[in-house]
Amino acid sequence: MSTFKDLVRVAFTGLLARKVRTLLLLLGPMIGVAAIIASVGLTDSAKGDLKQKVAKLGTNLIEAAASSSFGGQNPTLPTDAVERALTVKTVEKVSAVVELSNIAVTPYTEAREKFETVPIPVLAADSNLPAVLQVNLVSGRWINQFDEDSEVRAAVIGVGLAREFDVLPGENRTIELAGIPYGVVGILDSVELEPGFDNAVFISFARAEIDFLDDEVQPNKMYVRCTEGTESETSEALKTAVNLGGPQEISTDIKSEALELAAQSDRQLQMIVISMGLLAIIVGGLGIANVMSISVIQRSAEIGIRRALGHTRNIIAVQFLFEAIVVGVIGGILGVLLGMLAIFVGASIAGWVFVMASWLAPAGIILAITISILAGLYPARRAAKLEPLETLRLG
Amino acid sequence: MNASTSADSSNLTILMELSHVSRVYGSGEAAVWALRDVSLVIRAGDFVSIVGPSGSGKSTMLGLLGCLDVPTEGTITVGDEEVTRLADAARTRVRGKSIGFVFQQFHLIPHLDAIGNVETALLYRSLKPAERRDRAMASLERVGLGRRADHRPVQLSGGEQQRVALARALVTEPKILLADEPTGALDTKNAANVMEILSGLRSSERAVVIVTHDLDIANSAVRKVSMLDGGIVSDEVLRS
Repeated sequence: MSTFKDLVRVAFTGLLARKVRTLLLLLGPMIGVAAIIASVGLTDSAKGDLKQKVAKLGTNLIEAAASSSFGGQNPTLPTDAVERALTVKTVEKVSAVVELSNIAVTPYTEAREKFETVPIPVLAADSNLPAVLQVNLVSGRWINQFDEDSEVRAAVIGVGLAREFDVLPGENRTIELAGIPYGVVGILDSVELEPGFDNAVFISFARAEIDFLDDEVQPNKMYVRCTEGTESETSEALKTAVNLGGPQEISTDIKSEALELAAQSDRQLQMIVISMGLLAIIVGGLGIANVMSISVIQRSAEIGIRRALGHTRNIIAVQFLFEAIVVGVIGGILGVLLGMLAIFVGASIAGWVFVMASWLAPAGIILAITISILAGLYPARRAAKLEPLETLRLG
Repeated sequence: MNASTSADSSNLTILMELSHVSRVYGSGEAAVWALRDVSLVIRAGDFVSIVGPSGSGKSTMLGLLGCLDVPTEGTITVGDEEVTRLADAARTRVRGKSIGFVFQQFHLIPHLDAIGNVETALLYRSLKPAERRDRAMASLERVGLGRRADHRPVQLSGGEQQRVALARALVTEPKILLADEPTGALDTKNAANVMEILSGLRSSERAVVIVTHDLDIANSAVRKVSMLDGGIVSDEVLRS
């Protein structure tokens, strides 16, 4: 252990004694690592907004909609679709909705003419929906079991619609659904994975059944959160679990897929810049090998005297390697910092979110150390091979 | 005066023994016998000078005495170790343990201060930094340079640099102190000073060996070994 400390200490003193030379040695690994970090970081940052969204929303949201291969009108899911979906082991949360059709939504009777022509989706939803979509309410509350049981005319509206209807947060307001007034009890924040909900109206199943449906309410869509990573299996399992061989077919859609695709960094561009970074670091390594080889010649008297003082060839070789390693460690750390600065500046200028994968920093430093060790091997061997008798020029 | 030392000092410990040593450079027709069948015994308490003109083989002798080189024929024993049987690494350790070097050109490491140079001899020896520093400081004080510990070689005079080199050689408490033209790069006053320190360093445990071409220096030793053409021509005790 104390030998290790001696090696590190001597390496540092040696490097500090020749500051300009050390700076030159540092440049190679530093610029190489910085280039790699900056290239990966900047290409990631360019898509960082989307990536962040995907990370926030989770990739595990599945939409299961009723479909009919026979082209039937208004396909529905079984009444107990939610229970059936929950039998799939990887399913964590489920919420069912019914998309109601042909309901004119207006803020108040007098504005009917202005708004009637704009189709606004109206959905009956259960109390789980915000939890499954992982979305909050801007104000007020979501439809709850009380609304369901007491069959009150309570509605939650999307944040986009609230803006359009000039509904203030917390304000007591009504809106009219096909001329029937509903009290607005809450405003739902925008849902990234379901942008249509921004302008939608949500009411309870019970009320929907009374006001707008002729027969028993049957959901026609479900939102399912499954265990992270099991999206495809869950999608398949849902199809079987929900229709149970019955006539009601469902189609599933993993909501984050499109977003994820968009968030993929441009791999080709990234590879090109990484290659350039690697090239820079290899050239840097050659620089280390070169400068250190010259240094071995310049320091041959020092090596000779160390050998005379009882330092073995191995110690001499390891000592030179340690200098290279110290250069690698410091160059790597400086390179990471420089790369981070480049990402930060680049992202700030372009208005991107700063994104830097957590593996980048350790990978950069390890790369710098590896290159330095490889570069240090040759000079270290040369130093060890020197004969003290020849370097000391005895009288 | 011309008597061999072996008779009257046989009671003292043998520190190093060269037995029928030859050193040949090259081979075949181009072979050069730098040293031919040389035997030499160095005992504790010896203050020996090895003197001879250039080409006499004294540099080769120095390399062998310092375990920096191995002979082509013959054996060298340091203490109870037969160095000629040892591999490079083991021989290096013997060197670090038993031999201290002083060179004509001082060979101090320029970027280290005086104490750092002395400490270099104690590196990789599992010593605590504080202990190493204390020992280096003690060694510097021994050559009268305690107050110059933080000076770099360029800030020291030639005489001072050679004394730092002496401190470095002494810090490991070697049995044999091997000095190669130690005064060659010094003026008369500094040379005398270094010689005085050197002669004071021999003890009942240690021998001091000076390799030189300078007869005055050689004659200031207690025992003088004269070399010519790769052989020892005389080995005499100059004073008791």
